[in-house]
Amino acid sequence: MTDVNKLRSDLDFISSAVREDPCAGGVPALYFLWGVLIACGFILPDFAPRFAGIYWLVAGIGGGLFSWWLGARKSRRQGINNPSLGRRYGLHWLLAGVAFLLCFLPLLSGRLPAQAGAANFLLVAGITYGLAGVHLERPLLWCGLLMLAAYGVVVMLAPPFAWSITGVIVGISLFWAGFARRAALRAAGEQA
Amino acid sequence: MKALASLDPLLEHRIRLGVCVLLAKHSELSFARLKAQMQATDGNLGAQLRKLEENGYIQLRRDFVERKPTTWYKLSDDGRKALDTHTAALRALIDSAQGSD
Repeated sequence: MTDVNKLRSDLDFISSAVREDPCAGGVPALYFLWGVLIACGFILPDFAPRFAGIYWLVAGIGGGLFSWWLGARKSRRQGINNPSLGRRYGLHWLLAGVAFLLCFLPLLSGRLPAQAGAANFLLVAGITYGLAGVHLERPLLWCGLLMLAAYGVVVMLAPPFAWSITGVIVGISLFWAGFARRAALRAAGEQA
Repeated sequence: MKALASLDPLLEHRIRLGVCVLLAKHSELSFARLKAQMQATDGNLGAQLRKLEENGYIQLRRDFVERKPTTWYKLSDDGRKALDTHTAALRALIDSAQGSD
């Protein structure tokens, strides 16, 4: 005979075991990496715009591949092998990469001035990070919202050094997310 | 009651049910990860995993992660079906209990 109280206690135990998953979330090192890459990449359009394109081509693709490798390695070290989640991450950032490449089209064809075209990158980045926050890692949501707010400011007010200001703010927000994540992992007894 | 009869005796143990739920969520987990997640001892978890494996609910494979031997566990198709049936029965039980309140 199944005892209802035992059943309830078992379900509570299982739901807490599933909910308190210390592995849910990102790798702190990747937040720090992208904090630096984005800050540098957003400062370039203000101070050395001719290097911004090549920087993002190298840092974007290189950083993406490194993130994929580090994420997979970290996941295996934590004892998790989840190919379907890996595919979801891969597809998300691959689509982001395609969207970023498409942002180059109006600039290459000369139909859009560089300053106006540059804002498109910020919009795509904001949407990409915001959706990553919704579907993959919650801390990225705030970075995405920050980028979207910065896009609004850049388009409407056109402040001086808007790109640099945005890059530094996004970098700080990613560092904050990385430190928070690392603290959560340490609290859970994980090796960060 | 039909829901009670549909409960899987093998999944009435909290560790075994918890392991199946975690494997359904994560695809493949190591022994160490399952142990940490279920807060179980090596002996207890090993015994419960063996029962699940003997009944064809889970599959294991051995691998090396950074030169350390690691055993990975995965939910089999039979295990997934059994878990679905068991959770549906649990849901029916909870619904009937709420209905009688």
